[in-house]
Amino acid sequence: MSYCLAMNRSSRRRFLKRSAAALAAPYIITARAQETLVVNTQGGEYQELVERVVIRPFEKKFGVKVLHDPTGTASQDYAKIRASRGAPGFDVAGLLTPPEVILGVKEGLLEKLTEREVPNLRHLWDKTWQVIPPGSGAPHTLQYAALVYHKEKLERPRSWTDYWEPQKKYGAKVKGHVIQYNPANLLSVYALIHAAQLGGGGVDNMEPAWQRLKAQKAFVGVVVTGSAEAVPHFENGEVWISPYWSARSGYYIDRGLPFEMIIPDEGVIGLFDVACVPVGAKNKKLAYEFLNWRLDPAIQREWALAYFSSPTRPGVELPAKFAASQLTTQEQLAKTQFPDSDVIGARRKDWTLKWQEIMA
Amino acid sequence: MALLLFFFALPNALLLSASFVKSEAQQLTHELTLENYAFLFTRALYVWAFIRTFVVGFAVGLIDVALGYPLAYFLVRSRSRWKGLLIALALAPLLASVVVRTYGWYIILNRFGVANDLLLGLGLIDERIAFMPSTGAIIIGLAHALLPYTVLTIMGSLQGINPNLELAAMSLGASRTRTFLNVVLPLSFPGIAGGFILAFSIAISAYATPAILGGPATQVMATAIYGFMTQLLDWSIGAALAVILVVCAMALAYAAARLGARQGAL
Repeated sequence: MSYCLAMNRSSRRRFLKRSAAALAAPYIITARAQETLVVNTQGGEYQELVERVVIRPFEKKFGVKVLHDPTGTASQDYAKIRASRGAPGFDVAGLLTPPEVILGVKEGLLEKLTEREVPNLRHLWDKTWQVIPPGSGAPHTLQYAALVYHKEKLERPRSWTDYWEPQKKYGAKVKGHVIQYNPANLLSVYALIHAAQLGGGGVDNMEPAWQRLKAQKAFVGVVVTGSAEAVPHFENGEVWISPYWSARSGYYIDRGLPFEMIIPDEGVIGLFDVACVPVGAKNKKLAYEFLNWRLDPAIQREWALAYFSSPTRPGVELPAKFAASQLTTQEQLAKTQFPDSDVIGARRKDWTLKWQEIMA
Repeated sequence: MALLLFFFALPNALLLSASFVKSEAQQLTHELTLENYAFLFTRALYVWAFIRTFVVGFAVGLIDVALGYPLAYFLVRSRSRWKGLLIALALAPLLASVVVRTYGWYIILNRFGVANDLLLGLGLIDERIAFMPSTGAIIIGLAHALLPYTVLTIMGSLQGINPNLELAAMSLGASRTRTFLNVVLPLSFPGIAGGFILAFSIAISAYATPAILGGPATQVMATAIYGFMTQLLDWSIGAALAVILVVCAMALAYAAARLGARQGAL
């Protein structure tokens, strides 16, 4: 009696099922791979936060798997996109800033978005498309470059002058306790623009900024590039006054850092964090869903509260005390500066060189 | 071999071609130019970055040979039953990532670090000293990180020396010092040159240690290349800087290798 004939009915069924599964395996694997989205976004101290507030709920709602790539800064992520000609290995570049987005559009490396793919784009602040090209990405986080100071060491500053000419307000005691950032960090660029404006200049005339930087150098004790690199210097009391992102300021102050964040009299410069889809992304459909998810009002609210940032769309209800330090109204947004990121991108190399020559 | 050459030559050819292309507003154009090199050679900042890079390379090579030779000699000649353990201890730094080791130096050298606390505690200084960011801090960090490579290279050379040569020299009346200077040292010269080249080559192309202990205001070529490539997104100047680094490193390594070979042959 042959083996096949010896099999009972249930064994035969099992055999047929397994054979069918083996034959279909490549298709099943492909189908599952399509349900995986690779997202490049926050890492470090924010990794757990972004996974808990944004990524896990997205996985749950859509029944998909998100692979979180937490590496790189905005410019490093764009360098990957450029080097791979739009196929950097992640489907969503979740944390680009306007200069990279503008460059990405010029170089044709970012997908053009419409409200058909990302319906929530229609709800964004009107200001959004003045900062980045229409449909170039989904700005999901709004923050600004604030001024922070050590409450136990210094009196409350009022103006950007108190940072750029600290000796005038605080005298010799502030020497060695001022921090400077390399212009590779947008925070530095924005602070330098404020310095230029204090002397009647701006992005078109940065000379007043260089004069202030030269004068301030004697008081600078710490020089870093990344915003996160500054944190140990805040914690050990080495730095007493600094420009700093409002979101990071809120996060660390909430965790007990003896600093206070202020909006100087001259105002602040705002920053959108933008999620984009590289042209070579493998799973564009799910990437668009993710971008739409980031702009969902409930996720916008949860993320703003967790990250200490502002929503990028009007109408998101926030507690009054929290909202007081955020940009949540049309009036506040109108007062906030958004310098031309195209100009910043084009001149950043020269500014960095000048900064390095002064600080070296 | 051909495959290795291909994968070495192709990226370098791309790098070379990018270094002669003009970049405008962060974008590569199709215009050929020498401006990228002119830019680098006419800015004191980058000329200093070249000089600093090679000062660091030479200093690290010399320090590692000076520290590594006695250690390698002891490890090779030791008859202790703990010899294996001693070799393992000498090479132990390789078990930790260079970033971890460098942050160890960061904790020691920063203004609020162990070195300042110690000097203040002993009353040797009144005010905290900024040991870093500095070229000295980069040299210390790299010399520590690369010492095991030099020790391994010199050990290999010393192990290859026939001990009978030393015995023969001493049996003919040479003192231990003279035997070492006239027999062991010349015969181990290829190992010294190899250890120096290895430490020098890794030091001039190192990124993590100069980035952490040097910071943005104390640039070397590797950190400047990284800045142009990934922060300023100006690939033309980044490529020109990389070409200069590769050409200088290869020329110096070739010269050192020739010197080592000649001394070894003598």
